[in-house]
Amino acid sequence: MLKFCLKRLAFLPLVMFGVTFLLFFCLQFLSPEMRASLYIKDPRQLSQLEAVIEKYGLRKPMPVQYAIWLKQVVRGDLGYSETAKMPVAEAIRAFFPATFELTLLTFFPILIVGVFFGVLSAVYKDRLVDHITRFVAITGYSLPSFVLGLVLLMVFYGRLHWFPPGRYTLETDMLVHLDSFRHYTGLLTLDCLLNREGGAFVDVVKHMILPACTLLYISVALLLRITRSSMLEELSKDYVRTARAKGLPERVVIRKHALANALIPVVTLSSLLFIGLLGGVVITETVFDFPGIGRWGVQAAQQLDVPGVLGSTMLAAFLFVMANLISDMLYAVVDPRIRVGG
Amino acid sequence: MRTLRAALSCVLALTPAAFAAETIKNPDTFVYATIGDPDSLDPIWSYDTASHNIIANIYEFLLAYKGSGLSVKDLVPMIAGKVPSKANGLVSADGLTYRFPIRKGVKFHDGTILTPEDARYSILRFLLVDRDGGPASLLLEPILGVNSTRKNGKFDPEIGGRAFAAVTVDKGDLVIKLARPFAPFLTILANFGAMTSKDFCVKNGQWDGQAATLEAFNNPRREAMIPNEKADGTGAFKLERLDKANKQVILLRHEGYWRAPAKLRQVVIKVVDDFNTRKLMLQAGDADAVYGPQMYFPQLQGVPGAEVIDGLQNLERSSILMFTFKMNPTANQNIGSGKLDGQGVPPDFFSDKDVRKAFAYSVDYDSYIRDILRGKGRRTSGVIPASLPGGSEPRPQFKLDPKKAEEHFRKAWGGQVWEKGFKVSFVFNAGSAPSQTIAQMIKKNIEALNPKFRVDLRMIQWSTYLEQTQANKIPVFLAAWQADYPDAHNFAFPIVHSEGYYAGKQGYKNPKVDALIDEASRTQDERTRSSLYKRMQSLVDEDVPHVMLAEGVRYRAQRTWVKGFVFRPTFPDMPYGGYYYDLYKAVK
Repeated sequence: MLKFCLKRLAFLPLVMFGVTFLLFFCLQFLSPEMRASLYIKDPRQLSQLEAVIEKYGLRKPMPVQYAIWLKQVVRGDLGYSETAKMPVAEAIRAFFPATFELTLLTFFPILIVGVFFGVLSAVYKDRLVDHITRFVAITGYSLPSFVLGLVLLMVFYGRLHWFPPGRYTLETDMLVHLDSFRHYTGLLTLDCLLNREGGAFVDVVKHMILPACTLLYISVALLLRITRSSMLEELSKDYVRTARAKGLPERVVIRKHALANALIPVVTLSSLLFIGLLGGVVITETVFDFPGIGRWGVQAAQQLDVPGVLGSTMLAAFLFVMANLISDMLYAVVDPRIRVGG
Repeated sequence: MRTLRAALSCVLALTPAAFAAETIKNPDTFVYATIGDPDSLDPIWSYDTASHNIIANIYEFLLAYKGSGLSVKDLVPMIAGKVPSKANGLVSADGLTYRFPIRKGVKFHDGTILTPEDARYSILRFLLVDRDGGPASLLLEPILGVNSTRKNGKFDPEIGGRAFAAVTVDKGDLVIKLARPFAPFLTILANFGAMTSKDFCVKNGQWDGQAATLEAFNNPRREAMIPNEKADGTGAFKLERLDKANKQVILLRHEGYWRAPAKLRQVVIKVVDDFNTRKLMLQAGDADAVYGPQMYFPQLQGVPGAEVIDGLQNLERSSILMFTFKMNPTANQNIGSGKLDGQGVPPDFFSDKDVRKAFAYSVDYDSYIRDILRGKGRRTSGVIPASLPGGSEPRPQFKLDPKKAEEHFRKAWGGQVWEKGFKVSFVFNAGSAPSQTIAQMIKKNIEALNPKFRVDLRMIQWSTYLEQTQANKIPVFLAAWQADYPDAHNFAFPIVHSEGYYAGKQGYKNPKVDALIDEASRTQDERTRSSLYKRMQSLVDEDVPHVMLAEGVRYRAQRTWVKGFVFRPTFPDMPYGGYYYDLYKAVK
């Protein structure tokens, strides 16, 4: 297992090199003037466009530009993101924890709800619970996140004032920026608890409820459908029939026999969902004014912020490799017949 | 179902929203939800509205405008103890030397006292650090007679010496000697050249004020400037925190301010990208003012507890239809075949005045005002806004007139345009609904004149727009100009002087126009200047290098409990943000 993990991790720099090189290559299709638009924000500055191009080396050959960037990375400098207005490493540190917290708050409910109702739907196929579950799944899957987000915001914030947008209120903002507030982990909810600030903890969680609900509703549908179909397939197999014929209770047949086998595609999908959430969910973050990594990544891409795009892409590649590694390891846990050492 | 609905209604009625209008949320804190985060809070780097709004609340300039004033007469002293004039002897007879007595006892936010040397350093740093694309040229032009501290991209070693000679301290006064008389000079100092602490700057790795080290600090990269988390001005508010992750800037009242301290204790400027979220924040009282573009005006009307102040006229020229006299034909898809063969236009298509006039007679100005400006705009004709000395009162030069448009198209290019037809692209910025509507209007009206006429609409991204403008590839486009300082020169020069930004790009050059603008910038007497600008405008009217469509208005959406708002047309980010020193919150 250790050998397998190390092998996968050794592959990581290569993946990152490939991704960033490809991105650099694609960016060369844009003219230096277009790439300089990041630094020029007003027609009044246009007369100095050429000087900006020169200053940032935008006319240099692609390998030279890439080599300069790579040299900086090796020195631990990922560059400066104009969209975030801070160094890329700092931007990742600033935006990633919020996304990570939101992911944690969202992912496990997705997993629980998706698997539970997927199984329920399969077991009670074509019965009322199945119809309701399928209806919920289809609406969730087809509903644009900005519509759902906006509706939730209008009702629960605009009308009821229960769950405001943003990361926290002004009071919590002041509190978490006091010198006495220690940032042990960078995760605000955890830090609030460790600082024994129950009120701030509740406030931070309250701000994550609506984005989490939006993500839950739109993301759970796929997991639910996959669990259902995988479970249905398993339930129709001979070994399930045999188990039932042996007189095993239905609960045991479902939990111990069918579910264990049905979970393999669920694990694959879950890892992809997890990566998707960690990579940031732009629209949800925008609607709820949630300062996550997705919004930054997309803004960097829109504004041709090369260091920003490369930084966020590297993070995404890293997460992808790690999530794949974890899901490969989970396969072995779910199904002992699968061995990951080879 | 009816019971459920009734129960839900009861719950909704008992929610805090029902009480929101009665009590003031965060009574001593003002929250402004906007879309633009600051680029830099270093006054010598910043050249964007979002940054400049914050800078103008943290830092102070030598002078300022009184209320909604616009002319030199409306200037009031700030860090300078008096507004220099020939009458008070602080401007020399030749109009070249300005003396600014520096106010005593003014404290920076760190508690240190502002000295005349700080004032001198602030102006020198603004002039000489001079980043590419920055605002330095605004003061370089009047003080040193140049637009850059670099020649052919290389630092001019003589520039430091010249600047040191031009900006001096004498008997506690800051003395600035101009390269040539420059009438708008004082108005620039009401918006640029913020007073900074030399010690603070040096401690933060900035230029030490020595000539020997100047080159190393000239044209820096963004990362080399004062970090955005730090600022030390003399303004009514001090920077408490710039929270990049949450995209908000928090300002706290400066208790040691030289005037009475601000009524607000705290100001929060928060970036909220989505309009609906901003609107809901205004509705909930979590935002006291929000940014909203024209198209969202109806949505902000009637928000409970909020008011919309309409009809605010910024100092700008918006919606100018520009014609490029000589285009770059290389790989230019905007001009089709590049010939007058019905499949394109020649690169100098718009050099023919009849073509320009035909386009001008094809614009439906009234619909533009009615539909896009919500009926709040008015026709305009001049380069200089009417509110400025030398400005023109709205005097429509053109109206929608298909007959006259046809007449000019028939005359254009010796009749070839009408006979062979043409195909040209109208280019506009992605996301600009007004530009798109105008473009569609012009296309419809021109194509209706002759089936051989074709106007293609091309919506392009800002980055592509930059590239094509730089390469002179756009035949006809919509432009806008917002004032750096409230003076006719800041409109006349960029829009119609052959060395100005727009005229330069268009390839428009009229030596008489150039000469009149140059002469007006040197003239101190306002009446003479006005007459020079009026003569310039007559020549421009004759040439039709562009068409002014109309001037619109802006609006401010704020909670009704916000009091003290003064519309200052030259203040950055007006009317959305503001000068927070004016504001306070009260029920009545």
